[in-house]
Order: sequence, then structure tokens, then C-alpha cells
Amino acid sequence: MVPIPKGGLIISSDGKTATLQMENVAVVDQPKWPALDAVGTPAIMSFKMTWKATNEKINYDDPQKQFRVEGYSATAQLEAQVKVPSIGFSWKSDPLSASHANFGIIGYEVNGRYYSPMK
Amino acid sequence: MSSTNDVGSCCTRRSFLGATLSIASVASASLLLSGHIAAGNKPPQSKLRTYNGGTDPYPIPWLDKNGSHNQPAGPQLEPSHIYHFKGQVARCADFVGMGTDNKGNRIAFGTPTTDYGFMQGEYLAGRTSQTGEFTHI
Repeated sequence: MVPIPKGGLIISSDGKTATLQMENVAVVDQPKWPALDAVGTPAIMSFKMTWKATNEKINYDDPQKQFRVEGYSATAQLEAQVKVPSIGFSWKSDPLSASHANFGIIGYEVNGRYYSPMK
Repeated sequence: MSSTNDVGSCCTRRSFLGATLSIASVASASLLLSGHIAAGNKPPQSKLRTYNGGTDPYPIPWLDKNGSHNQPAGPQLEPSHIYHFKGQVARCADFVGMGTDNKGNRIAFGTPTTDYGFMQGEYLAGRTSQTGEFTHI
């Protein structure tokens, strides 16, 4: 988990769409993850990702785990470029519109000390 | 279409965008570095300092026992990677897509564990409220 640079995240005023874009993020290419002996290689990633709410509402409320989510199922798309300089490898995805995620959600969450059970 | 098996050992092992989690270690390293640098800026000995802990967000205690701010995305699962949090969140997982490497090989990306998300809002750390925007990639 990393902080998002200023301007990297744009959320619409109704909270139903979001675009996250970051350049040259230092990551570790770890192809064998989660194997215990997975070797990690420094890599650089740039990407753009979008979420768009569908009409399907989502409402999770778990008093035991103290979290509540109110939002929507979402479509998500991604375009990215990755470079692994030490092995001379780079990769670029097809345009954003050519990808999709089989699971997506966008909404508002409270948990922990901010959570209070629904009455 | 060429699968990952067609493109040689360099690429067959590339489930990247499943390289997801590793960013946590990079972030940790940078945080440690900041702490190390900060350690050099010692306050005058005459001043009493209160240690309230860092301002880094808490992980979700029961989902993230190793503190890596990482847990799966899916229905009925908590989208946030941060505990004591309120704000806007989004998650997605199980991407399907294609790309091309620098040798012209077509390589698919995305696995069920290829998940991304963001959290924008308020969280508790260092005994006070903080605000921030974070991503898990």
C-alpha cells in the first residue's frame, strides 16, 4: 500500500466513478509469489485504472468485524506499463478499453472506531 | 493467441500485476528510511517528548495478521486495507487483459489475486485523526 500523489486520484462528485493514475511506481516483480522462495526483482510500473458504478447496490454491515460498506458493484478497467530494468524486460498492456475485472466495488466505508451498528 | 507459455522463461513466470503485493515491502522500506532520517533530527534533551506512534494507517487486524495491508478482494469482504477508517473506497480483482512485451510477445495479465484498490478519507493513527489517499496495487 502506498500514498497516492496529489492529483493521482479523481473521484466524481457523486462517488460513482473514479480514475487512479500513477507514474513510475517502484514495485517488486515477484512472479512466483506467494511461494516462500519467490524471488523479487525491482520494477517500475505506470498505470491508469477506472471504476464505474453499476446499478447494483451493495450494502455490507458486519457488527462483529466492525465495518460497513455502502456502494455499488462496479466495472473496472486497467492499462499499465511495467519495466524490469535488471533483466531488460518491459511490457505494455493493450488500451484501457480492452481490459475488464470480474469483480469491482466502489463506495463508502466505515470501520473500527468510526463504525457504529445500524439501529 | 500466444499464451504465456509461448514466450520463453523470462515471460512464462510473469504473473505480474500479481506483482501486487510486493509494493508493500517497497513502501515499508521507504517508511523505514524516513524514520531513519528522522532519527537524526533529535529534539533538544530538555524537551519532554510524547510518543504517540506513527501516522501510518493500521492494517485490518483479523485479515492481515502479518501487517502487510493486504487482503483479498471479493463479495462480503471489506474493501479497505486500513482499520479505523472512514471514506471512499474501491476495489477490483480478477482482471482479464492482454499486453505486449519489448520482444513483441503477447502476454496476458490478470489472475484472481490481481487486485487493486484505493482508500481516500480519514483514519486514526498516532492517537489522532489523519487524512490520506492510499492505493494497493
